[in-house]
Order: sequence, then C-alpha cells, then structure tokens
Amino acid sequence: MHGSHDLPKSQPTSNPETFLWIEPCAAVLVSGVCLMLGHTQLATTPADSFIFGALLGLLFWWGFGNRANSPGAGLIWGLGFAALVWLLIPAGLLPLVTGTQRSMSTLSSARSHFPELVAYLVLLGMPVGLTLGIFGGFRSGAVKREFHWGRAIVVGGFAGTLSGLVFSRWMYEGEFYPLLAGLPQLNSRSEMVGFHFLVALLIGASFGLLFQTDVRGLGSSMGWGLGFSIFCWFFGPLTLFPLLSGAGVDWSADQGTALFGSLVGHIIYGLILGVIYAAIDRAWLKLFIQSDPLNREPEGTGVNVLRSLSWGALAGLAGGVAAGPVLLATGALAKLAGFGNGFPGLKGLVIHLTVSALIGMMYGLLFRNEGSSLSVGVPWGCVFGLIWWYVGPMTLVPLLLTGVADWSANAASALLPSIIGHLLYGAATATVFLLLEHRYERWLLLDPKNSLREQRRMRPVGTPAPALWFFALAMGVLLPILLG
Amino acid sequence: MTGAALGIPLWGLISVVAIPVFAGQMPEWNAEGMRARLPALVAWVLYGALFGLIYQAFNDLARTRWGPEAKASVPVPSLLTHVVILGGGFAGMKTAQCLEEEFQKNISVHITLVSETNALLFTPMLAEVAGSSLEPSHISTPLRSSLHRTEFVRGRVEGIDLEKRCVLLEGMNSSDGTSEPRQISYDQLVLALGSVPNYLGMPNVERRAFNFKSLLDAIRIRNHIIEMFELADRESDASRRTPLLTFVIAGGGFAGVELAGALNDFAHGILADYPNLNRDEVRVVLVHAGDRILPELSESLGRYAQAKMEERGVQFRLNARVRDAHPGIVVLQDEEIRSETLVWTAGTTPSTVIKALNVEKDKRGAVKVDANLSVCARPGLWALGDCAAVTDAKSGRPCPPTAQFALREAATLASNLAAHLAGQPLKGFHFDSMGALCVIGHQTACAELTVPFSRTRALRFSGLFAWLMWRGIYLSKLPGLERKIRVLFDWTVELFFPRDIVQTIDLK
Repeated sequence: MHGSHDLPKSQPTSNPETFLWIEPCAAVLVSGVCLMLGHTQLATTPADSFIFGALLGLLFWWGFGNRANSPGAGLIWGLGFAALVWLLIPAGLLPLVTGTQRSMSTLSSARSHFPELVAYLVLLGMPVGLTLGIFGGFRSGAVKREFHWGRAIVVGGFAGTLSGLVFSRWMYEGEFYPLLAGLPQLNSRSEMVGFHFLVALLIGASFGLLFQTDVRGLGSSMGWGLGFSIFCWFFGPLTLFPLLSGAGVDWSADQGTALFGSLVGHIIYGLILGVIYAAIDRAWLKLFIQSDPLNREPEGTGVNVLRSLSWGALAGLAGGVAAGPVLLATGALAKLAGFGNGFPGLKGLVIHLTVSALIGMMYGLLFRNEGSSLSVGVPWGCVFGLIWWYVGPMTLVPLLLTGVADWSANAASALLPSIIGHLLYGAATATVFLLLEHRYERWLLLDPKNSLREQRRMRPVGTPAPALWFFALAMGVLLPILLG
Repeated sequence: MTGAALGIPLWGLISVVAIPVFAGQMPEWNAEGMRARLPALVAWVLYGALFGLIYQAFNDLARTRWGPEAKASVPVPSLLTHVVILGGGFAGMKTAQCLEEEFQKNISVHITLVSETNALLFTPMLAEVAGSSLEPSHISTPLRSSLHRTEFVRGRVEGIDLEKRCVLLEGMNSSDGTSEPRQISYDQLVLALGSVPNYLGMPNVERRAFNFKSLLDAIRIRNHIIEMFELADRESDASRRTPLLTFVIAGGGFAGVELAGALNDFAHGILADYPNLNRDEVRVVLVHAGDRILPELSESLGRYAQAKMEERGVQFRLNARVRDAHPGIVVLQDEEIRSETLVWTAGTTPSTVIKALNVEKDKRGAVKVDANLSVCARPGLWALGDCAAVTDAKSGRPCPPTAQFALREAATLASNLAAHLAGQPLKGFHFDSMGALCVIGHQTACAELTVPFSRTRALRFSGLFAWLMWRGIYLSKLPGLERKIRVLFDWTVELFFPRDIVQTIDLK
C-alpha cells in the first residue's frame, strides 16, 4: 500500500509460543485429510493419500509457513506450492522413484495428470494455505499491515458486483454466463441473473478480504485478479458447482476443455474486478485515509503520472519491436492489421507499434508503483504480457473484427504461439521502463522524498508476489496448452 | 518461486525461439509445435525453482555465516565544491534547478540556496492578490519542495566577503533574544538577489508608500484598502472621506498598471458591502513620468490600455512625478492629491548587499557581468537577474531585468558554471524576447508577441482574447500542478462570488 498507514506496524498479537507447535500439526492434518478426500483423483488408497498429504503439508509449513502471514498471502503461497508440486511430482520425482514412464513427456500423459492438478490446488494448496495464513494473522513477530474489514467487504463487494455488471452486459445478450458454467440449469433467466450477481458479489468480497494488504495499485491488482480468477475457475465450475448440483465432481481434462470458455471468462472477470477494486480502494484511501495530513504521502501525483505515461510509451515501443518478429511469424500481427495471414506491410507495422506504445502507456500507468528492480519488474511485465494475450487476441481483437469474442479451446489453441510474443513484449516493456525510470531517478534519490517512495515500492520480505507470478504465469500458459 | 515464474518466459525465449533458430530451423509457430515442447516447459520451471532454491539457500547460509550484507557506503569525495546561490526569486530558483540537472548524482558539488523567503513568488499574479482575486499562498511555490538535492537556508544576506569567499547571514532571533549570525563559505557564488524599490532619495515617500515587490506587500495593500473603506464608511464628512477613498499608484510600467487595474476593480467591486459610500468617491490615480503608460509595449497598445482604464474609472497623471508624501497628501510637482494611500512601483535598484560589494557596476548599480555571466575580474563570482547588468552576447544590447530573461540567464549560468568546473569552454548568453502581456482590468489585457525568427516584427492583441492568452500562458508558467489547480479554482470562484473583504492581518 502507498500510505504511511500501511507501513509495517506492530499489532497486538497472541503469545508467540502458543502457535509454535499448532501450525505444523494443523498443516499436516488439514492437507492429509483434504488429500485423503480426493484419493480417487490421485488414484491411491485413502491411507496413502493421507500420508502423502501430511508430508506435503509439513513441507509447505517448513518452506512457506512463515510467509503465510495473512489468509490471502497463505492462499497464494499455497496455490503456487500446489502448482509446483504438480509439475515436480508427476514430471520429476514419480518417474524417478517408480521407474515408470508416467511422466509429462507427451501431451496426452500431461492431460491424464490434469485431475491431480485440480486436486493439488483445491485440496492441498487452498486449505493448507488458508489455514496457515489464518494462523499467520495471529502470529507475533511477522510484519503486519493495517487491515480494514469494512473497507475490504464494502470495496470488494461493490467492485465484484460492478465487475459482474460490466461483464454481464455483453454476456447477457448471448445468454452465456461464464461465472455460472458448471451449474445445473436454473429455472428462469432472472434466477440466472440473480445468481450471477451473487457469485460476483461473493468473489469480489472474498477478493477484498483476502488481498487488501497485498494490492498496491491497479497493476498488481490486475495480477491478483488474474491469479484469483484462475483459482476460482478450479474451485467453482470444476468443483463446487457440480457438487452443488449433485452431479459429482469431474476433474478430467476433457471437462476442463469443455469449460475452457468459462476459464477465459473468469480471467476477464478477474481482470475487470482487479482494476475496479483497486480504483475504488485507491479512492477510499485518498478520501478517508491519505487525506489525513498524518498519513499523506510527501510527493504528489501529476508530474509522476505524465512521466510514467511517456516512459511507458517508449518502453511499449521497444517491447513492440522486441515482440514484433514473433508476432509476425505467428500471424498475430497480420490478423491485427486485418490482412488475414499474409505479410502485414507498413500499415500493419504502424498499427502494431502504435498499439504497443498505447499498451506500454497503460503499463506505465498501472505498474509504476510496483517494482524498482528488474527482478520484480520483469515478472510483473510477463504477467502484464499474459494478461494482454487474454484481453487482446483472445477477446478484443475478435470482438472488434467479428463482433464476437471467441473463448473456445480451439481459438485458444490457434492463438497459442502468439503467447510467447506477448510474454516477450511484457518483459521487454518492463525492462525498458525500469531503465528509463532509473536513468531519471538515479540522482533524484538524493532527495529524501524520492527515496521514501522507493522504500514504499519495495514489498516486504515474505510477500506472496513471487507465488502469484508463478501461479498466474504457469496456469495462464499451461492451461491453454493442456486444454486447447 | 520467482525463479520458477521466470522459467516460463525463458522457455518461450530459449526453447521455442532461440534453440530452433540457432539450429538453423524456423521455430514451429503452431499449437502442436508448442505442445511438443511441453516437457521443456516443465524442465524450465523445475530448473528455475531449483535455481531459486539453491540461490536462497546459499544466500541464507552466507547471511548466517557472515551476517547481513553491508550497505554500500556513500563515497565521500575528497574535493568538494560548494556552490552558493543568493536569492530565491526566478533567477536563483531556476539556477538551482539547472545546477541540479547539470550535476545530478555528482555529490562532489554541494549546492546551497539562500533566500529571505521560503517560497518562490510568482510575481505576474501579484496584482491579483492585492486585488483579492487570488489567495496569497496560491501564487507561491515552496522552495524546499521544488528542489531535490539543494540545501535551502532561509536568511537575509548581511554581507559578502569576496576575499575570504564567505557569505554572512543575519542572525535569526531566538526566543531568548539572542541572535547569532551565520557564515557560509563558498567556492562559487551566484548573485541573484533581485532588486529593491528605489525611492529616488525621498525619505517621506519611502516612509509612507507601500512597496509592491513581495507577497506581504500585496497582502498589506489589500488589507489597507479594506481598512480605508471601513474608515470611510463611518465618516460622515464627505471631504474627509476623499483621501480615504483615493488610491495613488506611482509608476506606469507593468507592475503599476496591473496593480491600478486590479485595485480599481477591487475597490469598485466591494462598494456593495459599503452602502454609505458613493461610487464617484472612489478614485484610483496612476502617476507616470512619461507621456504614455506601458513604455515596454508599443505606443498603440499603451494608448489602448490608457483609454480602456479611463473608461473603467482610473485617472491618469502623465508627465508627472511624485515629489513628496505627507499624511493624507501625495505631492506631485504641480499638484497635491489628497490620499491616504500611495503605492510605489516607479523604480527599482539592486539590493543594498550589491551596493556594498566591491565589484564593477553600471549606473543603475547592477553588477557588470561578461557575456558568460561571470563577474568581471572576480573568478568564482557569477550574477544574473535584476541585480546584474547583462548584455546579450549576439546583439550587444542590454537585457531588461524581467523574469523572462532571468529564467534564460539561469540556464546559461548553470551550464557555464558546470563547464567552468569541468574546464570546458563557456558560452555567451543570448535570448530574444518572446513578447509581453499585461492585464489592465476585468477580462481585458494587452499582449505583444514577437514573431518567431523575426526580432523586429510583433503580433499585437488586446481585449478579451489577450486576457485569455494572459491567463493561459501564466497559468502554464505557474510552477506546480497543485498551484495551478488552486489558482484555477480561485478564478472560477471569482466568476460567481464577490471578492472577499475579510482582513487577514493587523495593520497596526
């Protein structure tokens, strides 16, 4: 967060010794029991699943327990851990230990492991992450940030509902509600609309409650929206809704492919939610917290915003140049310029660079407060590039060219190669933006006001941002490959 | 996790693009080709995760073994150059900003700015403060907020010792009554002390007249006008009301004309709050030594301004000079005006510190500088702005003491000072005036803008268009977005509400 009110403050907490032994026990128990419930998906016996889950729970507590200092941070660390476990065990350890060929050497074998991915995320990452995060909230010694319940629920709920409204406007006409995919047929259209907004409200309020302390601005909020919406897709349409309908859980890759459109819908919804949430949250902060002279930031807006826009435009141009050859080779550039699959020529290049500069300006505006070093800026840049793959070629380009957003698995499959170009674009844009910023700000850090801003931009040790980058990038890239 | 996350773009860059290209093949730009590289994706993620894990482990191990990483110590340069700028006006402030840009991270150069006030006053809008259109602090920009690496010292310069290379500041009065002067040594000294009113040796005028140079002067004038209206309102004798409601401004240059226009609008605007006073009793009189006002502009615009102001009720005494001032009377050479108010804008002279300085000066008392803005025969001494006699390096003409020139002189001086320290050649100062603008009353102004690349031709504007131009140009020149918004808000409020007559300082 920006304001001085968000600087680490000690809060009254329980005795540090109280939870010392409870946390590993809880991690072992929760993950053991939860994975035991999903033993059929893991194709093991309940006892084996429990032991396996308990071991993973212990490992998570050992590796990430200290970093899970809030439920939101715990959830993100848990999801990142679960995704890593999925990639590590079927691909690495299991073939090594068993000596079998049951690895991800082919797409079909990777698809056959898809149920395990859902199981790890829903039955391991989420419960153990949330559990340790809740304990972490009471733990003393951890870096704490002020949390406002009212702000979280009101802003989150309002943002969720508003995002649902924005999102539903173009879904309504096609009677396609991605957030409700997997639910049994509702009796009437009004029920469907009502339920759509209920789900949107719940997702928004959960978003506020979980990530209020992690979201710093519009950029990171979009990143959290992306990660959370991917998780919501696993938890909602793939798990909870079938359970509610009594149809039984189907975590197969085929079911994932059938619900792929809903995944893209969730992602788009998550991005809108992230932006709206951050915008309202920033407004709340400005109006009710930072308007207090005791909390006010020493440097103002204005010039910084204009500079970020100009640097963003330059960085976007550089990103466009870097990603241009890839986008040209994949045909994405030609499609953007409306030339089918042929060479787009000068017009296509101009359109591409103009769009690149505009998107770069957006990067400058959204991510200017997110990172001050390449190790932080480049992952955010990649997340931004991935976001634009879902927003641009998957949604806006077909919407502008044909009037219909094609979110099918086939469309994703056709656009898959251009994802590399978007990742490159994001990384190059972030790198050039940071270089421009550093070039300008190097000597300005002699000014205490500017050095204070730099300090505020650094996330504290234990921030779940790395887990978010990994989870969002891994799922955002892998799911179209697996399910497309 | 960061390592694992970065493994994904690396997979795209290396496995999908670079390896096929280096192998002399085209990358497979289709979904099948990418899916075939799925194992490489898994490998890259695991490699990244493992790399991150090992890196973190070694990092933790090193921290446990050798403690936390020592913070890089800031190198302290052995040879420090101290640049001291005297004066926080346009010239001084801009010089400090340009020097910051020139030296950036070079901490071997320390910059200090000494100013009597802690804010830069935007003088073009000063008349509007006196006329109660703008809030006083809205046209001042704090120097501390605007400078990044310059040390700011608030204080009045008492003297300069050119031999010992030090500046003596007046002591600040503390609560126990003690006052210790402060001395600042310098290697390079920039004189930007501006000017003070020149009363031409008339002590009574100096004692009785209001200055119009600082923010406090403008606030005093505004409060004095209101005070005069309050006194006149309870005065039943009409002849005794006359001096209270007559306001004399000496000087028909930009400052005097803008102030006369603003005071005329203000005085007539607040009459509604004083029902006992008559509109005809309020007089604003402008005394000017020349045969037309605004000698800085062309004759036609000067005549236009005079005619418009006369229409609005301002009276003029041309070819006249203020000779003396007594309580209730302003004496001209052939007339006496009964007035309790005299504002002096009829002349300026460099500050007393400059007068005491043993350097070559022109007849106005300004420090003579060469084309590079360094003081003749005084190495390490520079001067600019109102306190310097600057000659254009190209045309050889003297530069007028205006903010427009001071800002350009500051940029040249900073560049020359940096070049001097680096042992590089200096450049001469040259600037062609861009023109001038002057507000003469409600929504009326005069503007004369130089045609680009033509020194002799100018475009002239007057009336509402010129007034809009004035507001647009000066609003854009006002430093700081926050101040711009505040001034814009003040102007908007003024459109719908009467001017404020609350007195803000005690004149006694």
